[in-house]
Amino acid sequence: VGLHKRGSPKGSVMMKILTDFSKCTECRICELACSFKTFAGFNPRYACLTVRLSKDGLVAEPMVCIHCQNPACMKVCPVSAITRDEATGAVVIDENQCTGCQKCIESCYYGAVRFHSEKKKAFKCNLCYGQPECVRYCPTGALQVTEVQK
Amino acid sequence: VNMSYMNKILWVDLSKRTSCVESLPDELKIHYIGGKGFGIERLTEIFPKGDPFEEQNPLIFGTGPLTGTIAPCMRACVVSKSPLTGTFCDSYFGGHFGQEIKYAGYDVIIVTGRAEEPTYLFIEDDRVEIRKANHLWGKETDAVYHEIKKELGDATIKVSCIGPAGEKKVRFAMIDCDFHRHAGRGGLGAVMGSKNLKAVALKGTHLISVYDPERFAKAVWEANEALKGSEGTRALTQGGTVGACFDFSNSMGFLPVKNFSGGVLKPEIMEKVEIAQHQNKLWLRDNACAGCPIRCAKIGRIREGAYKDTICDNIEYETLGLMAGNLEWMDLGAISFTNWLCDNLGIDTMSVGAVIGFTMEAFERGILTKKDLDGLEPRFGESATTIELIRKIARREGIGDILAEGVQIASERIGKGSDELAVHVKGLESPAWGPRGSSGMGLAYMTGDRGGCHQRAFPIAWESLGQGPQGDKLEPLSQDKKAELVAWEQNLLAAYYSLVSCEFGRTGISTAIYLHLLSGATGLEFNETEFLKVGERIWNRTRLYNNGNGVTRKDDYLPKRFEEPIPDGPHKGHCFTRADQDRLLDEYYKIRGWDSNGVPTSEKLKELGIDKRT
Repeated sequence: VGLHKRGSPKGSVMMKILTDFSKCTECRICELACSFKTFAGFNPRYACLTVRLSKDGLVAEPMVCIHCQNPACMKVCPVSAITRDEATGAVVIDENQCTGCQKCIESCYYGAVRFHSEKKKAFKCNLCYGQPECVRYCPTGALQVTEVQK
Repeated sequence: VNMSYMNKILWVDLSKRTSCVESLPDELKIHYIGGKGFGIERLTEIFPKGDPFEEQNPLIFGTGPLTGTIAPCMRACVVSKSPLTGTFCDSYFGGHFGQEIKYAGYDVIIVTGRAEEPTYLFIEDDRVEIRKANHLWGKETDAVYHEIKKELGDATIKVSCIGPAGEKKVRFAMIDCDFHRHAGRGGLGAVMGSKNLKAVALKGTHLISVYDPERFAKAVWEANEALKGSEGTRALTQGGTVGACFDFSNSMGFLPVKNFSGGVLKPEIMEKVEIAQHQNKLWLRDNACAGCPIRCAKIGRIREGAYKDTICDNIEYETLGLMAGNLEWMDLGAISFTNWLCDNLGIDTMSVGAVIGFTMEAFERGILTKKDLDGLEPRFGESATTIELIRKIARREGIGDILAEGVQIASERIGKGSDELAVHVKGLESPAWGPRGSSGMGLAYMTGDRGGCHQRAFPIAWESLGQGPQGDKLEPLSQDKKAELVAWEQNLLAAYYSLVSCEFGRTGISTAIYLHLLSGATGLEFNETEFLKVGERIWNRTRLYNNGNGVTRKDDYLPKRFEEPIPDGPHKGHCFTRADQDRLLDEYYKIRGWDSNGVPTSEKLKELGIDKRT
């Protein structure tokens, strides 16, 4: 964890959060850790990741941003508020530039971009710029950090 | 400030179809912290006495200052006057519903009154909507969850609801909280049914902030590390409550067998229901309540036998004890299916195990005949007939109408000496921990504020170690030092239930850590003595409430069954005599500062700052 701090070659590898749904217990500690880090309070509705439950309840799956290679959210943003963080490879939103048009939200297949109804801004995972809180708090290893070659 | 409180109480009156918000008084936080404490304070004020089915009996959904945060193992509660016991009743649930109360911006939601027709509440932050539920009436809980979320168009809404049993006011109906976590004991689902309230749906967009984020995060980490290092926690994680307790309980002769007669399971039954069978034939994955790293719950699918392919939650220790033990069932699939069925009908599996055990023994003894039982012949060891009987209870059909009253009232109505087979204290059917090998446990049942309950003090844990909390020697069968132990633990747990913490958190987290969490979240500083004082204050208020509803010394005795010598196990031959119970009570009342009739003295109330008029 903490790629940029270890000084990996800029831009050659990127971080990803690996999920293993078979280890997910639906405790939503990841969501709480995320909302606390992102908005200084607790409520899963303000987390950048969500645990999605199958209708029969048998499967709980953490849905995290995969910071995809071809990010539609970034492409559709009319004000270029979404960019890639070179140190981690994360696709990040600049809150100051975001106009709240929600085009990025509509374009994300994973539902990884969310809307803050009070701030009227989109928000999403930024990999905590290298030390994801969700991974740090996950009690089962359902969330893990990995590095992939670009 | 007291940051992690939402500082609001929502009141909903179903008769007048109105709601209003009261700001949470600071005094309440300091004297009662939350959960159980808020519950007894408000219950006393709103409904000091009366029939639990009267419309003014409130249904109080209470949270604590740590509920909804990342502090591990936090829950919420429902407080009301119980139709099963006629006493104060607090029933706790995990899952995700309690957290959503906070996210909606409230610490407490109080529902009073009675709707004219089937109704459900939809609360979205400040908006309170009373909606029709005619189309949901009669439906089982699984269906209610799905239909409400579909109707409101949001799968993230959290729901609590009753099944058909709550609608029919079965006195041990429960409230099912998102998802299949229950305010299980004491029949509060029947109170909800009496209000024509099928469900409460919640959606909240408030953030819970904390007083000192850094300090709070540090305490959370400390708590999580403590859980990781605890063997007791690990046992719960790996095997749930069955893995953690079942073998131990059987080897100590604590299991209820054949309507609480014995304490040890037949080896051929044990073989079929032991932990490995659950792990290999039922479970698929761990399942946790919100914010809980312990994950003692499991979810799975019944993989063989007559009930295969039912998706099931784990069978909890109590349910297994009261079915494999009390009813001598050896078909694990049938037990798992019954667990699922009870969740869907909305009845408490524990009371069900006790009520059916009572019925089986009454049938065996000829007190109840095939004719009385609508042609059914419930026998120990046999499950199919019983499942039929459970359906009848939940819908109050035929004999089910009498059994739906719980063993106390049912035995009064049946007569013929059946009261000697009714195993309960104050109407609450006994849990799956026979007390005859543990004097302290007996006293805990005798004095439990919601009736004979294992969650108000659990001296078995200390007595089986032979050591008290201060390291002093304890003899399990002796009455020495038990009053002191029970009173201390009741106070401590009452305080924990104000946080509102799940008792399994205690397998790793110390009181000191809980107090760090509390001060980090709220800025309220309590030392351990003050924390215990809050618990003692709460406990005295629940006693006063019960006194006001007719409870005195006469109600503080064990059922006849535990006065009979236990026939098996390491404590074979032991029982509670009336003299034993009197000695325990005398000491307990004295330690409590109550008079010989079990009423708190005015000196004690003054010491605790309780105004007798309330």
